[in-house]
Order: sequence, then structure tokens, then C-alpha cells
Amino acid sequence: MKKYLKSIICLSVVLLMVTSCKKYLDILPDNMATLDNAFAMRSEAKKYLFTCYSYIPKSGSIDDDPAMQGGDEIWRIAYRRNGFTDLAKGLQNKVTPIGDKWNTFYKALRDCHIFLENIERVPDMLDTEKKQWIAEVKFLIAYYHFQLMKMYGPIPLIKENLPIGATPDQVQVSRDPVDVCFEYVVQNIDEAIPDLPLVHYNPVEENGRITQAVAYAFKAQVLVYAASPLFNGNTDQAGLKNLDGTQLFDQTFNKAKWELAVAACKKAIAVCDSAGLKLYDYRDKNGANYNQYHLGDTILTQLSIRNSMSEKWNSGIIWANTQSFSGVQGIALPMMDASRPENHVPRGELSPPLKIAEMFYTQHGVPVDEDKTWDYNGRNNLRTAEDDDALYIHRGYTTASLNFDREPRFYADLGFDGSIWHGQGRYDDSNPSDLFYVQAKFGQMSALQFDRGSITGYFIKKFIHFENVVEAGSSYAIHNYPWPVMQLSDLYLLYAEALNESEGPGLEVYHYLNLVRQRAGLSSVESAWEQYSINPDKYKTQNGLRNIIHRERLIELAFEGQRFWDLRRWKEAAQTLNAPIQGWDGQQKNAEDYYRIVTIFNQTFGTKDYFWPIIDREITANKNLVQNLGW
Amino acid sequence: MKRIRKLKNLWRLSATFILFFIYALAVSAQHIEPSEVQDTKLPIQVTGLVTDNSGSTLPGVTIYVKNNKAIGTRTDENGRYILEVPNNVILVFSMLSFESQEVQIKEEKVINVMLRPAANQLEETVVTAFATRQKKSDMVGSVTSISAEELAKTPSSNLTTSLAGRAAGLIAFQRSGEPGEDNANFFIRGVTTFGYKTDPLILIDGVELTATDLARIRPDDIASFSILKDATATAVYGARGANGVILVTTKEGAVGSAKLSFRIENSISAPTRNVELADPVTYMNMYNEAILTRDPAGVPLYSEDKIANTEAGTNPIAYPANDWQKLLFKDYTTTKRINLNVSGGGGVARYFVSGSYAKDDGLLNVDHRNNFNNNIDLNSYTLRTNVNINLTKTTELNARLSGNFDDYTGPLSSGATMYDIVVHSNPVLFPPYFPADPAHQFVNHIMFGNYVASTGTGVGYHNPYADMVRGYKNYSRSLMQAQIELKQDFSFLTEGLSTRVMGYTYRQSYFDVNRSYTPFYYQLENYDKHEDAYTIVNLNEDAGTEYLGYSQSRPDVSSSFYLEAMIDYNRTIKEKHGISGMLIYQMRSNQSSAQGDLQQSLPFRNLGVSGRLTYNYDKRYYAEFAFGYNGSERFAANHRYGFFPSYGLAWTISNEKFFEPLKPVVSNLRLRTTYGIIGNDAIGSPADRFFYISNVNMNDGDKSATFGGTGTTESTYSLNGVTVSRYANRDITWETSKQKNIALDIGLFDNLTITAEFYSQYRDHILMTRSIPMSMGLSAASRANVGEASGKGTDISLEYNKYFSNGFWLQGMGNFTYASSKYRVFEEPHYDEPYRYHVGHSLSQTYGYIAERLFVDEKDVENSPLQNFGEYGAGDLKYLDVNRDGQITEADRVPIGNPITPEITYGFGFSAGYKNFDISAFFQGLANESFWIDPEATSPFANNTQVLKVYADDYWSEDHRNINALWPRLSPGVNNNNAQTNTWFMRDGSFLRLKQVEIGYSLPERIQKKLHASRIRIYVNASNLISFSKFKLWDVEMGGNGLGYPIQRVFNIGLNMDIH
Repeated sequence: MKKYLKSIICLSVVLLMVTSCKKYLDILPDNMATLDNAFAMRSEAKKYLFTCYSYIPKSGSIDDDPAMQGGDEIWRIAYRRNGFTDLAKGLQNKVTPIGDKWNTFYKALRDCHIFLENIERVPDMLDTEKKQWIAEVKFLIAYYHFQLMKMYGPIPLIKENLPIGATPDQVQVSRDPVDVCFEYVVQNIDEAIPDLPLVHYNPVEENGRITQAVAYAFKAQVLVYAASPLFNGNTDQAGLKNLDGTQLFDQTFNKAKWELAVAACKKAIAVCDSAGLKLYDYRDKNGANYNQYHLGDTILTQLSIRNSMSEKWNSGIIWANTQSFSGVQGIALPMMDASRPENHVPRGELSPPLKIAEMFYTQHGVPVDEDKTWDYNGRNNLRTAEDDDALYIHRGYTTASLNFDREPRFYADLGFDGSIWHGQGRYDDSNPSDLFYVQAKFGQMSALQFDRGSITGYFIKKFIHFENVVEAGSSYAIHNYPWPVMQLSDLYLLYAEALNESEGPGLEVYHYLNLVRQRAGLSSVESAWEQYSINPDKYKTQNGLRNIIHRERLIELAFEGQRFWDLRRWKEAAQTLNAPIQGWDGQQKNAEDYYRIVTIFNQTFGTKDYFWPIIDREITANKNLVQNLGW
Repeated sequence: MKRIRKLKNLWRLSATFILFFIYALAVSAQHIEPSEVQDTKLPIQVTGLVTDNSGSTLPGVTIYVKNNKAIGTRTDENGRYILEVPNNVILVFSMLSFESQEVQIKEEKVINVMLRPAANQLEETVVTAFATRQKKSDMVGSVTSISAEELAKTPSSNLTTSLAGRAAGLIAFQRSGEPGEDNANFFIRGVTTFGYKTDPLILIDGVELTATDLARIRPDDIASFSILKDATATAVYGARGANGVILVTTKEGAVGSAKLSFRIENSISAPTRNVELADPVTYMNMYNEAILTRDPAGVPLYSEDKIANTEAGTNPIAYPANDWQKLLFKDYTTTKRINLNVSGGGGVARYFVSGSYAKDDGLLNVDHRNNFNNNIDLNSYTLRTNVNINLTKTTELNARLSGNFDDYTGPLSSGATMYDIVVHSNPVLFPPYFPADPAHQFVNHIMFGNYVASTGTGVGYHNPYADMVRGYKNYSRSLMQAQIELKQDFSFLTEGLSTRVMGYTYRQSYFDVNRSYTPFYYQLENYDKHEDAYTIVNLNEDAGTEYLGYSQSRPDVSSSFYLEAMIDYNRTIKEKHGISGMLIYQMRSNQSSAQGDLQQSLPFRNLGVSGRLTYNYDKRYYAEFAFGYNGSERFAANHRYGFFPSYGLAWTISNEKFFEPLKPVVSNLRLRTTYGIIGNDAIGSPADRFFYISNVNMNDGDKSATFGGTGTTESTYSLNGVTVSRYANRDITWETSKQKNIALDIGLFDNLTITAEFYSQYRDHILMTRSIPMSMGLSAASRANVGEASGKGTDISLEYNKYFSNGFWLQGMGNFTYASSKYRVFEEPHYDEPYRYHVGHSLSQTYGYIAERLFVDEKDVENSPLQNFGEYGAGDLKYLDVNRDGQITEADRVPIGNPITPEITYGFGFSAGYKNFDISAFFQGLANESFWIDPEATSPFANNTQVLKVYADDYWSEDHRNINALWPRLSPGVNNNNAQTNTWFMRDGSFLRLKQVEIGYSLPERIQKKLHASRIRIYVNASNLISFSKFKLWDVEMGGNGLGYPIQRVFNIGLNMDIH
């Protein structure tokens, strides 16, 4: 019996085990992080708001912004090849599109809608704040849609999120016509505006978030885009139709679109004005630095131009991208300080091609090929700098005539072989020979090398804050600034452009154009053309003025990431981007050989290049999605 | 939270209770059972000696009176026995793997017997699920075993490297030769799922362990090594057995005095093949060519002066020309292994204790100026004790304790990284180090060479020598396990009933510590050629250190708990009806640290009941039914449990009466077939713990946004964002595998056995990512159990044994495995091109472009379809426009080559012996495998990659426009056009290699006797001696991993000794 007992115990233990473990597999503790937690309280919801912001592209970044190296504004040595230099070389493709953002922006849109779906649930928030956040996210929905449109043209709009388990028919969305897209973008901005603050009360934490000024300025930009040739009656895109035959680009030009743009620009300017914004001028700066040197007008004008970009949160900035702080300063700066030969941080690699150098006006504020007093044909001859040039070109230095007698923005924005580089620890302009200057011929400090230096012979000064200092070792003390994406000058020029398109030349157009020229140290457009241009009536015709406004815009906003998009918007890329990229011969030691033009690359740009291809895989996965023309 | 703790407590309580129960049982048992003494007087006392056919004495042979097993004994350690028997009986001498022999007793007092090794393998037993031994002749399911002796023949400290080609149905290959990282990959019957878990379940004495733990087991400790392949064999493991099971049992002690077994081995190993690189001058010339051929306006990197002076060997400091391979690596290295075990026992308890030690060194050089060792030095130790205690006549308690410890010293990164860095290091930019010059005579540190980074700050390059000698890594890995098993025989209730409870726990731990200094790097600043004097400049004065620093990774500790309870019934009724049944309850929990994610940190659990029923009639007709009923915590409650049944039938034709006349020729003929369904919960990826809830990262730095930064302050305000990394899906459930097996066992002439098996399996409910347009904006894949795949194949094994009367013996073996797989249902977009669909192709099929040739010139480029992968021109790869749409896009990717896991594995070999000598050889091969030379990793100059010699010898250049050259036109970076997966870089992975050869000599018996030994054997063996393959760049077995740590060729000498 004992034996039996033993075995019964044995078996019952086994049975006990089996029954006691019913819940053995329920191992999930409560409080697992799920999406519900993201909206359980204000501080978590704020993280979700930041998530919605986090998709904003890093403007001004060499690796994220196609407008930096993807066009014809900045060239680079072959060693620094990246996706965007390939884009500039016409190597865009539909298998792995360069700079593709399709996926990113659609993810962003899904997050924005998740935010809108859930934000009402957050218990511990004031209604006003909730409204403001909703307005910000609505703005972002408009913003991401617009970014997609700039790249891909008409796109499938995401007005609400499809459920995760949606059927294949539901997820295979098709593209909406351009006008419908613009309408939706504008609608979202309009809905956002009333709940946005005019200015931030806590700039230390909030600068960079959306204000009314930003929203109005953005709306102005969107409507100018909608009115521009690329989207307004673009007959090149006649063939772009959905499978059901829907025409995606309206084929007739509609002038009313320009009128809408004019109104939006005007309103935006007024709002910016009431928000206290004004064009930046270095002289206005209260207690401006370096007063002890009694800086001359030449340098003061240059600092006004340079700092309008590189002085963070200056009075002319409507919106700066705080997701992208200027990471390009070391890459742009050439090596100049002979006492720091070991410091290789200055790379001097961002090279504006010769055509950009030629784009800037002469000292009289007119194009180099229009100025009666300027020897256009002899522009490549050698010339030696004299006393008058001393604040622009190192005295006694021989360089090309092209670099002489140019407008202040030329010297403020560009560096070149022999050019003075004010700042970097040397601020006194009374003895110009003491200022730093660039020496870029072979064997010199800033010469072209295999892995550094300018391939064209030009450098970008505009990016570099004048108070940055190159120190011993590999230290470079920089003044960082969030990348300005919308400036007052930009808005003024948009207004001038829209006015000229809708109403033709007029005083209002000249006024806003001249505000920008004035800051750049130039005379008014009327007097400059009348006095110096071989084509003195140019500004009086709509066509001529359009030409002038476009050029003013390209010069004023040079290197800020606008040219790439403007050339597309105006449909001018097919001419401009079908020209060779040229520069001086960087492998030569003396001036005679150095100042010979070499062609670095022959760019090509076709109709299909106005828009990005949609990644092939997406076209395969979504049978309702039509590919852009030519891809 | 509360609920969890409560559960845990309950859990602990019950575990404690069980252990206590077992203990109490053990104590009480000793009092209850006084051993019964048999005092019946028997008339005859027989003595004798039992030997094998080579004359060695055989201990442990069972001797009993036929039809009366009560009278019996075993031979002692010297093969002798004494037994009192009644007159006129038949004595049976039997022992595992020997043919039993019967002797009629008629007054003789001394009977010496010679046992012949069992010719018919089918009489062997194999270990099957839950350590049950089954006679091979009774098997219905598909189980293969490998003898430990075979495994011991490969001179390696890693058991997994000796698996390849040893067993039908096992696919194994080794991709790296680095000590500690050289585990072979192995699969049972191929891969038929696209989930993450494709490797088999590994059980060592019932404990679920990893491949690394398997690798550390010494063959001398192994009693059996079985591979469970089909549904009925693995069904009882339920959820865990879908990819097959490898079952290892370790030895146990046998009754007798202490027996000591000892093995010592000493090996020398060297790479089978090293990758050859071009010389530095060629490197520089080709670099300049690469720049200019892509960009005629480009600036050459190396001046003619530098090239000329390097060639002339002017000053190796100013004009370095480093052979990094020679600087870093030795030609050969050594390995030592010692294994010692003692076993024995008496009536109450038996024991087996073994200890082993292996020391593997790597191939890296050590700088004498450091006082630490940066070469790989892997010491592994194992200690194992298996104790069996007879608590009562019917109760047995087994306690197994084992520990397995790795102590490693080695380079900071792995040896493979060192091999990789060497291929990716510039040979001419700087010397490995600068000798101390007068300006630096008081410098204490090694002045390593380097060059400023191309960003202008800091140290720009890898100095492989500095990377290697600047420090060392220690890691320590240990596995400790305790296992207790209680077996109770309930024959007294009803014959054939027994129960078993087994539980184990183990702790696995790993930590590593890096100790290193930050090297001071110097760059050549000036070189005066006339004076032959140079100056150097320090690149990282602030960052470098002369003293060691320290860092460590997150320690990784895991613990596991397992419990199984089993009831077993096994009986033959009326001599013809064999019945057996088994029911098992099992639960398992595993938890580990260092997961980095809350969901993954929660314990992994399985719970299940499984069982088996078998019936045979007259050893002719067999039927078997098995099932697993399993639960997994990964699924939602409504899908949590799965029921997985399987059944099998077998017919031993040779046991039929009508077969009698054929028996002399066909000694055995047996047909088997099984069918079953097995579940798999290891789907998706290991990170997918709970499919039914979402996984959200509430603090994702990638989704952060920044604001502020006003005024003069640099202060900004940032918050991290939120990312969904998995969406909840309550419908995700078990992947199921339906497996069929048909097998034929044939025995011919008593010395040739053939087993041929044909199997197929069909998996459905495979979890896969659904094809959803990106415009949905999902941040994580949407998945469903929609995939289906099938696999089929053949395992054939042959064995031949022949013993000749003059003492010569010969054994031959061969096996062949063919395993193929196919996608059956795979959610993919609707393609216009039928060849793009995965369905119908192997699961490890590669898709790529068909490279036709290199472009002849720019005109050729213009006239060819547009290729969408970036810059290309003359001398670059021209792809075939398969769909003829005028563009090369993803739509032109076609299935290329064979699968990347081999479809065919085979091995064959022989052993032979004569008197004291024995010799064996074993060949192993793979076929139907393709691999790719990585064009990105080998692309010269990109990432400072050196030029492979084969590329330098055969590349397209403007002067030599060979459109069939191995390497296309040079470029300073990776040319994306040429780096696509394509047929140009595809290679055949098949090979046949002489895996192992061994010659052994056993000392004559009289010498052994003098030394009190029953066996002393000295042997030499070698592995990876010769291989046959078309591929010469590196060892073909490494496949696409060719730039890693090379596979080793090993020469080994060993001594094996058994002492009583």
C-alpha cells in the first residue's frame, strides 16, 4: 500500500502542475507602452507634436537638401560625390530615386493625422493650447503635402488615415489633380492660421515653431507656386493622366491664380510687419560689435548682406529651420590662415561655378553683359588689384577682371583667388592688407587638391559667420544658426514677382524690389537701368521686369536653397541647367594658366527632370498610381 | 504588475515543493529497500573472458541465462566474468553494437567468447524524443544518429564543424575559421520558412541550448547524437520541433570500478587559403587611373615622385609600402585539447565525471612593446557530472550538473574584423609606426602612423596595426546547469508502466571587458630627400593616451527553467502485440537581460502536453500516433494554443514468412511512412514578442525635434518623438508545417545497410509582410499569416561493414542529402513580368540582373537600354533588358544562380583496420549553391579597399578594353551600377573536400596491460587537406564571407588512453 501511496502522490504532483499554470502564458504586465499612452497626458502628447515636426527636411544640409548640390549653384570635387552631386549630373533614376522623400513625407502625414485623431483625448491641457497644437499640425499637413508636390507634382492627398487592415483596393490610391492638391494645402493653412500665435512668448523654447507670420508667408509661397508656369497651364504635362483619364495638370493658364498670390503676399507682408519683422541691416544692430574700428561702408554693407543669412534669428527671418543648424561652414571655408597650417577643418569645397560668379551684378547694379561701363568681353583678362579695390581684392594681387567692379553681394557672398575675407578674428578694415585673403592657385593654401579645395576657383562666403575663428590644432569656433527657410527679402521678391505677373510693372513692384536692392547697397532699379544699362527701358516692360525680378531673386537668395526650386517653378531649368559647369583651372600654379576656363561638366536637363520619378516599387505596388512623364 | 508577482510566487512555491518531494523520496527510499539477496545455490560456476574480434577485452558485456534473465552478470573491466548457472542452459552474451552470442553450457567451467561487432545496424537502438531508446528496427519516424567516435575524428574544438556530411538530412557548412566564431551553420532538411528561426532545436540531455553550447561539447562525453527529422519523430516537441531536432545525450556511469579515459590532442592550423592583394605600387597606379578614367579633369592622388620612390624603396617611413597581412598575421597557430573522464559505480549509484580543456590560439601577431596579449586565446573548460542513484529497486534518480566556461582574450574587435580591416586599409599612406627619432626620444608610446581625416579634423584612417595592438578584449561566457530527473518504474502496478519527472534550470552569462589605450597617431610632415630626414606631427595630442582605458558591453545573462513530467507505458502482450504509450507535460520559461526593449525583456514561455501511442503486431506491422498540444505566449488568447497531430505506419517485410527464402541476400527490408502537422511559434523576428499588442517607442531620438536657440545663448529645446515599431494584430497565429516522409530500409548480405528517405513538407500560415504602398505611411510593416512554402528532398545513407577472418576490417559510409524549397504563396504586387514572382522558386533564391558583358565604349552605352543605377560608361557592366522596355529597372531582376544555402550535401568515407593499425578518411561536399563576391566590399579604393590581386590582373582599362574582364572599369568609389546583385560576381559554391584523414596505432595488449590500460591509441589526423572547387579567391566554403577570418587546415596529433 505504501508503494501505491507514493505513486499517487507522484501523479498528483504532476496534475497539480498542469492545473496551476492556466495563466502561465499571460505574461504581459499592465502599463505596456502602446499608442494610447502617447495621448494620456500633455507631456506625452507634446512628444507626438514634436514627432510631427521631426520630418521637416534638413534644409541646407549637403546630404538632405537637393537644393544645395543638386542643381548648378554649388559644385564639388569628385571625391565628395554623393547622391545629390549625381542628381546634378543627371543621374536621377526611378529604381532608387536620389533624395526620394515619398516614404518619409507619407509617414509624416500619417503621424500628423494620428495626432489630430487623438489630441482631443488629452485630459490635462488648456483648450487654447490644444487649438494651437492642432493648428501647427494642420500647417504641417499642408507643409508636407506641399513638399511632396514640389518634388512629385500632383500627388495622392491624405485627408485622413486609412485603417491598418485596409483592403488592397482602399490602399491603392490615385493622384489628385494639381489644383485640388493646392486647394487642400491652402485650406489647411487657412484652418490653421486663426489658432496660431503671432509671435512666440517663449522664444528660447519655441522659436522655429509655426507662427501666423510663418503660415501667411508659407501660404504666399504656395500660391505663387500654384500660379507659376510649372503648375499653371503647363502643357508639357498634358500627357499626365490618371488611369480613369483625369487630367492632372489643368492645361489652361489662369491669371487669377496670380491675383490670389498677390493678395496672399500682401497679407503676409502686413502680418510680418505687425510681428515686428524688418529687413536686416548690420548698422541697425543695437550696440553693433566692432564699433571701435569705425568700420567703413563697404564692410558694413557686406556684413548686412552676410549676416542676413548667418546671424541667427535676425529681424529679417520669418522662419528658420531649427531641425537643421548650419553644418556647412567648415566645408565652405577655404584655408587662409598661414599660422594654422595644421588645421584642416576649413575645406573650401563648396564651389559656385563660373556662371554663378557671372550672375551677380556689376557695382552699378545691372548684369555684367548690360553694364555700359563694364568690359564684358575682357572679363577673363588678368588685372591687378589697386588701392581702390583693397577691401575686395588683396592689394597687388592679380586675378581675373571678372572679379573687379562687382556689386557688394558678389564680395559678400563669394570668395575667390585673391579675394579679401573680412572677419575670422581680423575685423579692422583700416589696413586692408592685414585682412585674410584667399590664395587658390596650385600649391597655395586654399589650392585644389584631390580631397579638398574648390573645383571652380570660387568659394561661398555667405554661409560663414564673420566671427567664426580658426584656431590651433583642429578647432574651428563657429557661430551656429538655424537654416533660414523664409526671409522677408524672399517674401518681398515673391510679392514683386506676383504683382508684375498679374498687373505688370508699377511703383509697388519697384518699391519692394528696391527695398532688397537698397540693403544690398545698390541704387534703385529705375536709376540703375536708366543710367548704366545698354537696355535702359527693360524694367518698364512686364517681360523685362520679370527678367530683372528673377535675376534679383537668384542673386539675393543665392546659396540659400532657392535657385534649385525657382528655376523649376519658372520652367527656366531647361535652359539654365543645359549649360556647362565651368571654373578656373585649379591645377595651375601661375595666374596666366590658372585663369583659363575649364569645363568641368556638361549638364543636361529634360522635361522629365522637372519632377522626381516616383520610386518604381511604389508604382508596382499601387496599380492606380501613374508614373511621372518620361520616367 | 501584481498579477505577475503572484504568479511568480506560485511558480516558485510549486518548484520548491517538487524539489522537496524528490528529496524526501530519495531519503525515504534508502530506508525502505534492503537489497534482496539471492541465495539459491546453483550447480555450475562458469568463468571466462569476453573479447572483441581485435582481441581487446570487453567490459560491461551482459551475460544471462536464456529465458531466465534473473540469472545474469556483466563482465568486469578486464572483460572477465563469473556466474553460477544451472546445468544445461544457454548463456547469452550481449552488448550494444555487438552481435549477441549464445553458448550451450555443458559442464564446461571456462568459456571464452569473442563478440563480433553488429553487422546489421538495424539492431542498434537510437535515442529518440525525450531520451527514449528505441530499437532501430522498430522505428517508424525518421531519426539518424552519428557516432561520437566519428565526431571525434575531426580535430576541432568546435563540435559543429564536424557535422557536415556526417548524417543524411543534415545540411551544414562553415563560413569562418575564427576561434570562438567558427560555428557551422546547420539545417535539418533545408529551410522551409521565411521566419527568423530556421535552425533546429538543440537538446543536450533534454536541455534546450544554443549552437554554441553544442559546439563546446566534447565528443568523448557523448553517448548518443541523434537527429530527428520528420513529423512523428519531432511531434512530441510540439512548437519547438518544426525545424528538426538535434538530440545529444551524455554518457552515464556503468557498474564497475573506476574507469578512466583520457585524450590529449595538439594541433597546428593554418588558413586553407589567404586572399591575395596587389602590391603597393600597383595600388597607387591603379588609384590614379581610377580617378582619371572617371574624371579626366580629376586630380591624381599619388604623385609620380611618390610612386617612383616607393618602387625604389627610398625610405620606408617617407614612402611606406605596407604588407598589412604580413604585419598582422602569423602563418600558423596551435591548439591544445585535453579531455578526461572517470566513470564507474556500484549497486546504489553510478557516476560519470568528465572535464575537458581546449585552448585555441588565433593568427594575430603581438607587439613586444605591449605587455598584453592581443592575439585570440580562447580557453574553454567543461565539467560534467552525471550521477544515477537507485533509490529503490524501481526508482532511479539522475542528477546532472554541468558547467561550460569560455575565457577569451583577443583583439578589441574580432579576428574577422582584423582580416576585414586589412583588406580595407591603405598600404601607402603611412607606416604602421614611426621609429623613435631624436625629436621624440623621450616619448613612451608607440608612434603609430596615420593621416588626417578628410573632414580636416582628427585621425582619418584605420591603422590596422594600431587597431590590433592597442588593447585587448576579455570575455567570459559560462553556462551552468543543474538537472534532476526522477524515474519511477511502476511495473508492480502493471507491467511496462513508468513515470519520469525531469526539471532543469540553467544560467548563461556573458560579459566582456575591453582594455585599450587610444593610440597616438603621427603623420609625416616633411621629408627632405637630400638629407633623408623627416619630421612628424602628432594628429591627436589631446585624445591619445599612454595608459589603458576600459569599457564594457552590457552583460548578457539569461536564465531558464524547465519542467517535464512523463508517463510511459511499454508492453508486449502475448508476444505479438507490442504496445507503448507516453504522455508528457512540459513547461518552459526563459528570460534574459540585455534586451533593450521592454517587450523582449519579458520571459519566453511555452506550455504543452504531448503524447505518443504505438502499436506493433508481431514485429511486422507498426502504427504510431503522436501529438503536441502547445501554447505560446506570443499569440492572442484566442490563438494561443495549437494542436499538432501526426501518425506513421511501418511494415517490416523481411519479417514476413514469405520473405524467408530471400533472407540470406536481403537481411532486412522495411517500409515506413509518416505524416504529421507541426507548429512553429518562432515566426517574424525575435523582437516580435507579442503580435497582439503594438510596440511603441515613446522616446525615439530619430523622431526628435528642436526649437529655440535665440539670442546669444546656444541653448535649444528638444524632445524625442514617438515611433510605432509594430502594429497590433490579434489574428497572428501559429505557422504550421505538414510533413510527409516515406522511407525504405534495406539490409543486404548482413554487411550493407541502406536507408533511403523521401520527404516533403508544406508550410502554411507563414508570417509575412504584406505589400502595401508607401503612401499608406506605415512606420512598421503590416503582416499576416499568409505565406506558404513547400520543401522536398531525399536523404540516403549507406553503411558497409566487413570483418575478415584475418583480423582485417573495413567500414564504409556514405550519405547524400537533397533538400529543396519553394515559395507557394507569397504576397507580392501584380507584376507584369511573370519571372518576378517568388512563387515556385527556392526560399533562398537570389534575384539579380543578368550581366551580359562590359560596355565596349560610349557608343555602345548610347545604343543600349538605360541603366538606372547611377553613373556608368565604357567598361561598366551591361545588363540584360529582360522585359525589353528599354530601361534596366527592378523589373529586369530575375532569379539567378542556385540558392545560397546548398541544396545538396554529401559525405563519404571509410575506416579500415588491421591488427593495431587503423586508418580513416572522409570526404565531404556541397552542391547546388551559389554565392556572390561582394562588389561593394571588394571595390578597390572605396573605403580604402586594397586591390585584390585577381582584380589587378584582370580589369577593364582604357588601354586594355577587355569586355570580359573580371573587374569593370576602375573608380575611386563604389560604382553603384556595377555593385548591383548580378551574375557577373556570382560564383558556384559547390566543392568537394577531403575533410578529414586519420591514422591511428593502438599499442599491443601486453604493453597496455603493463600500463594497466585497456586501450592506448596514438593517432595523427588532419582536416581540410585538399579541396576541389573552381573558385580560387578564398576558401570556397566561406561563400560570400571571403574577406573574413579564413577557414583553417589543421594537423593534429593525439593520444587516447583508457585505464581501469
